[in-house]
Order: sequence, then structure tokens, then C-alpha cells
Amino acid sequence: MNAIECHRLTRQFDRLVAVADLDLVIPAGTIFGFLGPNGAGKTTTVRMLCALIAPSSGTARVAGFDVQTQAAAVRAATGILTETPGLYDTLSALENLTFFARLYGLSAMQAAERAAHYLRLFELWERRHDPVGGFSKGMRQKLAIARALLHDPPVVFLDEPTAGLDPAAARAVRDVIKTLRAGGRTIFLTTHNLAEADELCDLIGVFRTRLISLDTPANLRARLFGQSVRVVLAGPAAPLAPLVQRLPFVSEVSAEERVLLVRLANPDQHNPALVRALVAAGADICYLEPFTPSLETVYLELIQEAVTVNGSG
Amino acid sequence: MLHWERISVLICKEWLELRRSRGLLLSTFLPPLILALLALGLIFAMGLVSDPDTAEIPAAAIDPALAGLGLEALAQVIFGRQFSTLFLLLPMVIPNVLASYSIVGEKNRCTLEPLLAAPISTGDVLLGKVLAAIIPGIALTWLCALIFAAGLGFVAIDPAVPGLVLHPGWMVMLLLASPLLALISVALTVMVSARVNDPRSAQQIAGVLIVPVMLLFFGQMLGLFVLNPVVALLFSLVLALVAVGLLWLATQVFQREKILTRWR
Repeated sequence: MNAIECHRLTRQFDRLVAVADLDLVIPAGTIFGFLGPNGAGKTTTVRMLCALIAPSSGTARVAGFDVQTQAAAVRAATGILTETPGLYDTLSALENLTFFARLYGLSAMQAAERAAHYLRLFELWERRHDPVGGFSKGMRQKLAIARALLHDPPVVFLDEPTAGLDPAAARAVRDVIKTLRAGGRTIFLTTHNLAEADELCDLIGVFRTRLISLDTPANLRARLFGQSVRVVLAGPAAPLAPLVQRLPFVSEVSAEERVLLVRLANPDQHNPALVRALVAAGADICYLEPFTPSLETVYLELIQEAVTVNGSG
Repeated sequence: MLHWERISVLICKEWLELRRSRGLLLSTFLPPLILALLALGLIFAMGLVSDPDTAEIPAAAIDPALAGLGLEALAQVIFGRQFSTLFLLLPMVIPNVLASYSIVGEKNRCTLEPLLAAPISTGDVLLGKVLAAIIPGIALTWLCALIFAAGLGFVAIDPAVPGLVLHPGWMVMLLLASPLLALISVALTVMVSARVNDPRSAQQIAGVLIVPVMLLFFGQMLGLFVLNPVVALLFSLVLALVAVGLLWLATQVFQREKILTRWR
């Protein structure tokens, strides 16, 4: 079953098109990373999918419900961590959570139980009676995530969940996100932390008003950079680059100081021939390793491509 | 369809926040009580000192029921009637202050989006916020009026004074007009809240609302009319029409999409 399905989803504010023709299918139990620069329309997309604002055209279904005709059901089936935690400062952590749990239709007893569960999970139990106004940024963020999960929604939207958290707290949040996936929940993760997206996401969507690319992190890398190996030499790499480029199985070579970056059709098959050619040319090879570009490199490449193709910012 | 359980949850949250805001609580709830006690003190003083100017007032012409009263008792009635009109300011001012802190406050703290993401209709949210603001306002108005009415029996120098001050017209205004004034005040606050980022700016609208009540106050003082039940009912009817219109406008402003995309 698909957790989220969009078909030509579009949102326009007067003459400004914030989201254009978004086609998206996210299977249930997936962590989906929604990446894009500031002002790309990510928040507008999330708001449409949470039935907070209506699309100008197109359709979307979240957790099986139509965002326009079954808005209340969509809101009940989704949890959202907004850009700012949006907590009531004068209320305690427990009061904040029980208030929202009751709004989501939980009984007083269920609300208290769920609130206690998440306060313990996020290590806020000892501070449950303290006003939230005195909490650190990390504590507030954890409490806001707890609020998004209280009613056990099948689809959870998290906007920069680890922003402002210390490394330990960020690790705890990432572990919780993985646990949620293991429990079958779908996570729609909006983040600028590409290392985090790389670690967590099964599927990545790169977005800038339009969906630029949608694939697994591995496929995105392969599509852009193919399969590459990094050859570290004892001496300068540049003189060897023309020789390597002439090899029939090499599609691209770049050299930087002592490193050759070689793009191959099939590294398992061609690496021995590459090594033989380099040794025959007198190269001293220190070691050779598969090259995996960071998601950041992939992301920047895709955004740059989109700017070049569309000619817009 | 209204969901009263969720509305009551929202009202409880609003009141809990109010209870925790000691400054707001004291500055909103203490002055009306002082007003009631001050009015009684002044009426008591009127009964002690005979003001010769009171004899110049054509009391019987203004209201035949005042004929035959002693000068001190007449002064108490006239002063008491004027002061009693001021109680109608309370249901406008108190809910206005509470609603402005509630709505503009949520807007400033960015707590509206998580609230609107919950499966609660904007009608329910609006009703919860309106009720959370007007219930304390009306309750406090009526409490102060009760203190005033009860105290009047002790400070009046003539047993006829309380009955003449707390006349049926005033009763109608208190029971009928004050909830309507409170509704008008909160509806205007909601509309203004879309445009301002400071609760005090939203409160400025109370200044506009004071005008019709001050007209009543000065109209009575100058003897232009007596606030009898018919005048009070007509006034309340006009207020009811205004309240319905403004509440409808408030529901148009308080829409999920508008709050998230247009409110600045």
C-alpha cells in the first residue's frame, strides 16, 4: 500500500507557483527524504499533504485519504513536526502533550499513558512538570516530535527533526525515526542535513518547485556518477590520466594530486585490467577503493542541473 | 457539526494558560472588582454629603419614579445609575484582552500550525477561543454587578434607592447586552488579529467599542433618555444583529488556509 500518492499536485499563490505538477508515490513504511533549497516549496507541499492548505490543482492521498475531500481524516492520520516546535511555554511538558493527545481524540487516560510513554522515550520524564518555556532547544524539539507521534499516526511529517540538537540527542532522534520505520510508519523527512538523509532515507526526492529527481540514494549516485573507483598513487596522478582515459572500459577520468578518479562500466570486471595498465606504465599504486559520492555532491549536482535546464532560481 | 469534547479541551488549555499568566490575570481581573467597590464607596459618600446642586436636577421630569426622594437619596440614585452603566464596559474589555493574548499570542509563538494540524475544525477552534475569552468576561461582569447590587443595600440611605438604581432596563442590559457586547468585542479581536502582531494593538479596538456604551452613559447623565426595558431591548436587538454579522466575518477570517498563508 502507498502511504502518499500525488498526481500533478500544484499550488499557486496569486502569480507565484510554489509547487508544480508534483507526481509522487511513497510506499508505506518508507523514510522519504524531501530535499530542496530554501523557498523551493517544501513547506507548501507538506501543508498540502497534511490537509492544512488546499492544492490549486491536482490530487493527493495520504494514508488512503484524499487531502481535499477527507481533510479531517488526513489530519487524524498524520503527525507533523513543524519548522518551529510551537509549544505552549507556560504549560508543562506533560500538559502540552496531554492537550494535543486529547485534541487528537484520545481519552484522558490514553492521553496520559501516551504522554508518559513518549516523555520517557525522549528522556524528558524527570522534567515533565516543568514549564516548557524553560526547556533547551533540544528538549523542545524532542517534545515537539513526541507531540507528532502521540496519536500513533501511520504517516509522520518531520521538518528538520534534528536541527539544533546536540550530537547525542540527534542520534537518539535518528534512532527513533528508524524505530518508527520498523513499526511500519511512513516518515516524510524534510531536511538540509544531507548526511542524515543519506543515513535514514530509503527514497530521496530532490525538489525545487518541481520534483527534479526521485530514487533511492544508491540509484541517484549511480545515475549521476556511475560506478567509480578511486586510485591513490605514490606519485602525481595527472601524467597517468591520458593513459587511463584511452582504456576502452573507462568512461571518465579526473586527477587531483595523487588521486585518480576513474568511472568504469563494471568495477568488479575491469579493476584488474586498470591496475595492470597503471603498473605497466610505471605507476606505484598505494591502494584502490570504490568511490561513493556524498549525497551532498549528488544533491548539488541535481540542483545545478535543474537550474541549467530550467534557467531559473 | 461542533465537537464539544475538543472545544472543552481547548477551553481548558486556554484557561490553564491564563492561570499561569499571573500578570495578565491580575491586571485583567482586579480592576473590575475595584471598580465595583469604588462605586459603592462613592455612592455611600453621596449619602453622607448633601449637594445643593442636586436640588437643581429635574428628577421627576427625567423619571417620575424619582419624585419624592430626599436630596441625598436622589444623588445616590443618579450617581448609581450612571455608574451602573460602566459595568457594560467590562464584558467588552475583559474578553478583548483575553482573546487578543490568546490569538495574537498563538500567532507570535507559532503554535497555531500544530493546533490547526489536529483534526479539529477551525469553527471548533474559533468557538473554543471565543468561549474561553467571553465566559470569564461575562462571569466577572456579573460577579461585579452582584457585588454592586448586594453592596447597594448596605450603602443606600433610602430603601428605595437599590430598586431605582438596579432598574429593569439595567437588568436587561446586563443579562442580554453584555454577552452580546462580549461577542462583538471578541469577533473584532479575531479580525484584527489577522493583521497585527502585538496583543496591545488588537486591544485598541476596545476603544471603538466603548463609544456606544459611553453614549448610553452620557445620554443618561444629560437626561436625554431613561434606560427603560424597551430601550434596553432595542439596544440589545441592534447588538445581536451586529454580533451575528461580525461573528460571520470572523469565521471568514479564521480559516486554516488564511491563517497559514495570509496572516502576517
